[in-house]
Amino acid sequence: MTSRVLKTALAAFTALICTAALAEDITVTDITGRQITLDAPAERVILGEGRQIYLLSVLNPEDPFAHVVGWREDFSQADPDNYGRYLARFPDIGALPTFGGFKDGTFDVEQAAALTPDVILMNIEAKAATEDAAYDDKLAGLDIPIVYVDFREDPIEHTIPSMRIIGKLLGEEKAAEAYIDFAEAQMARVTDVIERENPERPSVFIDRAGGYSEECCMSFGPGNFGEYVTLAGGSNIAADIIPNTFGTLNPEQIIVANPEHVVVTGGNWDAYVPGGDWVGMGPGADMERARSKLEALTGRTAMAGIQAVESGNFHAIWHQFYNSPYYFVAIQRMAKWFHPELFEDLDPEATMQELHERFLPIDYEPGYWVSLNDD
Amino acid sequence: MTTETLVSEHPSQGRAFYRTQVFRRQLILAGLMVALFFSLCVDLALGPARFSLGEVIAALFTPDNVSQQARVILWDIRMPVALMALVVGASLSVAGAQMQTILSNPLASPFTLGISAGASFGAALGLAFGVAIIPGAIEYVVPLNAFLMAMVTAFLIHALSLRRGVTVETIVLLGIAMVFIFNSLMALIQFFASQQAVAAVVFWTMGSLTKATWPKFWIALGILATVMPLLARHGWALTAMRLGDAKAESMGVKPRALRLEVLVLVSLLAAVAVAFVGTIGFIGLVGPHIARILLGEDQRFFLPGSALCGALILSAGSVISKSIIPGTIIPIGIITSLVGIPFFLFLVLNHKKASW
Repeated sequence: MTSRVLKTALAAFTALICTAALAEDITVTDITGRQITLDAPAERVILGEGRQIYLLSVLNPEDPFAHVVGWREDFSQADPDNYGRYLARFPDIGALPTFGGFKDGTFDVEQAAALTPDVILMNIEAKAATEDAAYDDKLAGLDIPIVYVDFREDPIEHTIPSMRIIGKLLGEEKAAEAYIDFAEAQMARVTDVIERENPERPSVFIDRAGGYSEECCMSFGPGNFGEYVTLAGGSNIAADIIPNTFGTLNPEQIIVANPEHVVVTGGNWDAYVPGGDWVGMGPGADMERARSKLEALTGRTAMAGIQAVESGNFHAIWHQFYNSPYYFVAIQRMAKWFHPELFEDLDPEATMQELHERFLPIDYEPGYWVSLNDD
Repeated sequence: MTTETLVSEHPSQGRAFYRTQVFRRQLILAGLMVALFFSLCVDLALGPARFSLGEVIAALFTPDNVSQQARVILWDIRMPVALMALVVGASLSVAGAQMQTILSNPLASPFTLGISAGASFGAALGLAFGVAIIPGAIEYVVPLNAFLMAMVTAFLIHALSLRRGVTVETIVLLGIAMVFIFNSLMALIQFFASQQAVAAVVFWTMGSLTKATWPKFWIALGILATVMPLLARHGWALTAMRLGDAKAESMGVKPRALRLEVLVLVSLLAAVAVAFVGTIGFIGLVGPHIARILLGEDQRFFLPGSALCGALILSAGSVISKSIIPGTIIPIGIITSLVGIPFFLFLVLNHKKASW
């Protein structure tokens, strides 16, 4: 009896020593410039934003949830099509503990502490609220560091460093670098050509969530999709008008600017606006339906007589590209729309295919974009 | 008061004084109308498309001879917004004016009684969860929800006010209770809704004229045109109400019956306005006060005056909301307060007599 207890204790002790030896202190600099020192690799991670799983999937496509002990519930709501595919592949994620958002003050520190995470990954837009409620101090008292990452506020600038940070935390640096190489190479296929050829930039109107509400029209200023347009060799008509990333254009302004291309962002918003005029892009989208809804959007007052409608350069693309690490595919797609002659060899579909095959746990299904110019 | 007692010693002088008063007020009404017409013209003439005045006039009067671009911009974009500003401004202001009158409370407005809050709640239900109170009418979910909730609120207040011992003060208190209930429910919706939907709800509650379309304009105009004569019919009785229930009753007015009828009519006005353009808070409170300072309590002038003041504030707000950052439209609800408050303060601080 005694010897058994002793043996167990010894085993436990050995295990402890081993873990301690394996784990070493590392220091990472997160997206907000904070320096965090912690034991790596982290074994237990809480995702302060469910869609951070986009990044974790890349690092460990076989089992992205291996180290996730809890996450925010936004993934299933904001991207139901992909969530369904993840759920089918990893049925256990339905039972993962979920949190409310940090931003709206529904995060429960006690619950987080009870899960004894090694680190909490947080998106930078939650930083102000987190510090306001002094969650960071409370968690620091429990020896649970927060690391801020971002792939939404500034996807172009922050996605790659975020990937690198998470790779380092999880001890998956190689996988992180492989993805970064891929992303940069795919970006270069567009940006190199645009830089070399310096083509004339067609004017582009991005119709953010077009048809989502009856009002017209939400768009992007110089940031996010606005930046994608610039990188893809277009000229965003709202760049000088909307001061920040998000804003609303006067419908008259669209008629006056007379854009050569319109890119409508769309997603499956049945949960929010059932039967709305939005274009339901996303994996496995019903293309016939998407096309006819896109067609219907050309009839809005603000689209009267603009070049894009007459030439059929009227496109729809998956809205979630605005906050996903797959932004470069959106840029490739738009570049090919804006400059078909320059990018004849570029195949965004193949990029998407390769992305899924090499880096993601789920299979690629088309449906991320449609154009009225498609044959 | 001193001037009036002085002149009334001579009957003929009193008559002359009355005539000058009426003439002065008619002049003020005419002045407001001119200002309103001017504001409407500016609203139609300004926009990111820099049309010359000639082009605007040509597009207005001979729409078949101008380019499709000019025709669409003037008739489908600028015109519904400009006209909607007038109708909604007038509706909200008249609603506020009569609420202040029947409740003898200078703070009464569609907002104080929870009618707008109810409308916002209905709209938020539609925006955040796609809940339609009347199923089937997908296109009009949001305005219909808003309208129904506003009417429900009005009838709730109506029903409660029928109980024994309910005074005017109690009605105002009930209204304020409604505001808080609906605000909590709104917060609850926002708490559960998605980010995208929260943004839509927030935008909606800021109020925006860009939602205006021709059918909505005709509905709003139809309601205003129906309600105004019904209110005007009670003009003298409503004027008497301002003396207090007891005095009004001694003049043959039935305060309770009148109060209920007017409450329903103004709820209708406020509900339609809020349903179509979102919550624009300030006009229902301040429009009538400006009218009262300029024209006094006499409903013959106060009623049209309130309508004109409200329309003018919203129309001017519409011009400014698209001029601050050319190419975008700042939600009108933000602008109206910023524009109207300085003017309102100027009037209040420079007005010698207590207007309430």
